Amino acid sequence: MQSSVTQPQSAAPRSGGPPPEVGPPPRRSSGRAWEWSLAALLLLPNLLLLIVFTYRPLLDNIRLSFTDWNISSPIANPVGLSNYIEWFGRDDTKIIVRNTLIFTVATVGISMAVGLGLALLLDQKLKGRNLVRSVVFAPFVISGAAIGIAFQFVFDPQFGLVRDLLARIGVASPDFYQEPGWALFMVTVTYIWKNLGYTFVIYLAALQGRRADLDEAAEIDGATAWTRFRRVLMPQLRPTTFFLSITVLLSSVQVFDIINVMTRGGPQGNGTTTLVYQVYQETFVNQRAGYGATVATIMFVILLAVTVVQVRFMDRGKQA
Amino acid sequence: MNEFSRRGFLGLAGAAGVAGLAACAGTGTSPTTGGGGGSSNTIEFWSNHPGNSKPVEQEIIKAFEAANPSLKVKLVDAGKNYEEVAQKFNASLAGGSLPDVVVVSDVTWFNFALNKQLSPLDELLSSAKIDTSDYVDALYNDYNLDDKHYALPFSRSTPLFYYNKDLWKAAGLEDRGPKDWDEFLTWAPKLKAAAGSDKIVMELPDGSNYLDWVFQNMVWGYGGAYSKEWTPTFSDPNTVKAGTYLQNLAKDGYLKLSKDPAPDFTAGIVGCSMMSTGSLGGVAKDAKFPVGTAFLPGDGNCPTGGAGVGIPANIPDERKKNALTFIEFLTNAQNTVTFTQATGYMPVRKSAVELPEEKAFLEKNPNAKTAIEQLPKTRSQDNARVLLPGGGARIGKGLDQIVQGQDVATVFKGLDAESQQVFDSQIKSKLGA
Amino acid sequence: MSTSTVVGTRDDEQIPSTGGQRRRRRTSHQVEASAHHRGPLWTAAGYVGMVLVVLVIAVPLFWILLTSFKERGDIYVRPAQWWPDPVTGQNYSELTTRIPFFDYVRNSVIITSATSVAKIVLGVISAYALSLLRFPGRSVVFLVVIAALMVPNQITVISNYALVAQLGWRNTFQGIIIPLAGVAFGTFLMRNQFLSLPGEIIEAARLDGAGPMKLLWRVVMPMSWPTLVAFALITVVNEWNEYLWPFLMSDDETTAPLPVGLTFLQNNDGVTNWGPVMAGTVLAMLPILVLFLFLQRQMIKGLTAGAVKS
Repeated sequence: MQSSVTQPQSAAPRSGGPPPEVGPPPRRSSGRAWEWSLAALLLLPNLLLLIVFTYRPLLDNIRLSFTDWNISSPIANPVGLSNYIEWFGRDDTKIIVRNTLIFTVATVGISMAVGLGLALLLDQKLKGRNLVRSVVFAPFVISGAAIGIAFQFVFDPQFGLVRDLLARIGVASPDFYQEPGWALFMVTVTYIWKNLGYTFVIYLAALQGRRADLDEAAEIDGATAWTRFRRVLMPQLRPTTFFLSITVLLSSVQVFDIINVMTRGGPQGNGTTTLVYQVYQETFVNQRAGYGATVATIMFVILLAVTVVQVRFMDRGKQA
Repeated sequence: MNEFSRRGFLGLAGAAGVAGLAACAGTGTSPTTGGGGGSSNTIEFWSNHPGNSKPVEQEIIKAFEAANPSLKVKLVDAGKNYEEVAQKFNASLAGGSLPDVVVVSDVTWFNFALNKQLSPLDELLSSAKIDTSDYVDALYNDYNLDDKHYALPFSRSTPLFYYNKDLWKAAGLEDRGPKDWDEFLTWAPKLKAAAGSDKIVMELPDGSNYLDWVFQNMVWGYGGAYSKEWTPTFSDPNTVKAGTYLQNLAKDGYLKLSKDPAPDFTAGIVGCSMMSTGSLGGVAKDAKFPVGTAFLPGDGNCPTGGAGVGIPANIPDERKKNALTFIEFLTNAQNTVTFTQATGYMPVRKSAVELPEEKAFLEKNPNAKTAIEQLPKTRSQDNARVLLPGGGARIGKGLDQIVQGQDVATVFKGLDAESQQVFDSQIKSKLGA
Repeated sequence: MSTSTVVGTRDDEQIPSTGGQRRRRRTSHQVEASAHHRGPLWTAAGYVGMVLVVLVIAVPLFWILLTSFKERGDIYVRPAQWWPDPVTGQNYSELTTRIPFFDYVRNSVIITSATSVAKIVLGVISAYALSLLRFPGRSVVFLVVIAALMVPNQITVISNYALVAQLGWRNTFQGIIIPLAGVAFGTFLMRNQFLSLPGEIIEAARLDGAGPMKLLWRVVMPMSWPTLVAFALITVVNEWNEYLWPFLMSDDETTAPLPVGLTFLQNNDGVTNWGPVMAGTVLAMLPILVLFLFLQRQMIKGLTAGAVKS
């Protein structure tokens, strides 16, 4: 019953057999029950909190997705699948899903790649790197709402930095707030800027904890820098990359504050509306909490499916 | 391994079952009676402090407590804007702990009233022998549903026509606002010439930021409307005419939309705009040029806006009575003068303008006078915007599309259909209750 | 420059071949055999990279900082005014007088510390159980924990509000902290980390007779120190910026944290003076950045303390 996600990856030249798996301890005769109790003790508090404060509302939400419920009304009328059928049929659904995809894929790809690059850069012993590390991490520290506000000074078509810089090279600034394509670009760039600190810090921690002996062995073997990167470092970073690909995806799908402060889902109504913003809009602006619950449930199912696929992809890769 | 995910799904279903039992234990979609919490001598006032009014609110509260020693008022920070207050109030409807007084805006009050979450005030007012005739009629009747009133006006605003006097002079125009939109169209080319290439003639907020509010003035000016009573009238030829006018303004380069026209106008790069009276204080302070204010073009075509204060329905009568005493005090002539002088909103009582402090204030601030003198020319907003859920956002989206060049008739036809559908599915059955 | 041979601290010549800092790899430049020698070209490239990074990332930060020192009328000007003239501290004084700023700070400190400590502890022990203990349904529980990351908080707040209000915990610290204490992200991160530890060390410790708690405390945690520090930092940041739930739960400055309190500087229905808002953003960032600078050094110190070479 062991989970397969246990092999530490190492593509370095092997000297002995494969390293033993990290896993549970050898069984002792009375050990099993005792181990179960210990596991239960360690897991129960967290599980209880998650069940009460995350899953109970989720299940309630699923129940409500089958109703027509005005958020201020005490009564929710059951309507079966009609909310779901409506969602799949509406025009704005396509736009919203497309926005979510673009935003998420760009965020995951760019923030992971750049985060790794930054971590590699700032792992080297260079003077002043502590200060630069703080600079890289600083945007992550600021709240999404505050960034949304601050970036109006960056993207404002009349007073912003972008306009200023473009004017110096004689180019007119696009109206980031009124053109849907540019608005989506704006919120995506803003979020990536904020999120770099996260991928950076996780990769940095992984780099700091990696096995120096493998690196040294590879060097002694005369491998080039690129080979060392590809065959020694990247495999060691695999668990981290896997972890980040899931968590960055999940957190980017749930970005709300930046969109709410900068564009309120606009222009033209849904130019920057993502699934999670639609949940808010349908529930609190259109008062249709049942339909909002439907969107949230669909979003949850999609994320679950995507995560499972990612996990299976990772597992299959490990067996290679 | 495959085992992992297969087990995973089965396991999740199992875990869901366990958690499902916990979920049955009530989620609060049943109405809460008694409203939980709150002693009957403390009045909990949920406010977003519109116009940075927390100090003024506290001042009024102190005066109230002095005049009513047995009552206390607890001022609660209920959000940074009207939407957040509504969000917080909706959360409390699900779970008890209702406030005694809550700020409700022009677009949030109706849904609460329709779903019986706000108390109708008329009986409470008459049994407390409070005379409501002193409230400015339009402002008070904004909260009318089925001949009952569900809130008292509190922080009310209207849009004003702001203009840059320097630019007006450079264009050779008289120092006044346009008397209607046709006249503005004759002025626009002169303004554009005077503005040059780096200034904008007119800037309005975009569809995500209440263009739909100020556009009512244009629509009404051409004899159209978003709706007559509950019937959407977007396809009315006059409404379409107004939409075409807006589109042409943008096409000819006279109009730009923006997230917030105030900073642009204040910085002097915009010739004119339609913005809330609430912005007047800030604009006047920051502008380095003489700021002109005028009535909105047209006669009697000014929409109202802002918020009122309501009392939740599901609290005990004792608390309702106390709450009513407080909101009447909050919105009486003296206090509305204090409040509006500090914030830029409009006094909600007719007699307020007669008070000496107000007279003196208006002498010193002629631009504030403009807003007050416009009050009799206001008219209630169209149902399709304020009473239909999501009305403002829906119309704003359509207007954004029109300004970007989409066909006006098509967009408005879509708005007709959508608005009708929302009315049929969400409102119709609850009316007339 | 020579380095110690302890795991982790190193001068190295890793060349980032991915990412925004696209530096051309010099195919002709061979890597030195010694692990300690670093070519001057790489050093120069490294510094160029750092400058680029600072420029791109820091410019908006810098802008926030500058705006916080500008006078009201200097904020919206064209062309953009880069350096405040005059420089004024009035935004900061307005920030601390217009709103009960220090009350919000105090609340933020309380909420963030309590929630972070809870999350870190629970995350570590949950991750430990899920990686190094054996019991039926282990994978299932893990998936259940992860799935919590897929639930947007807009839909949990209304239901939780009802529950917490019924417990009478509205406008209290426990009402804010306890619903936030469940941790999915940290469990995932630490489990990942524990699973990537070299098996031989764990085996060796077990053969030495170490019980599970000793194993955790003496072997697993020290080896996972950098990741633990990253976990702590990210958790603190997220809790410090938590907005929606504290907003719904708190009534006023007795419990409202900084993100909620700072919004009251904005004027809905009027013109906002962004100077104090930017000042608030700057002050809100500072404690966490200081924490980061401090913990960064811990990340490296921890490495020298724990690792054992086989």
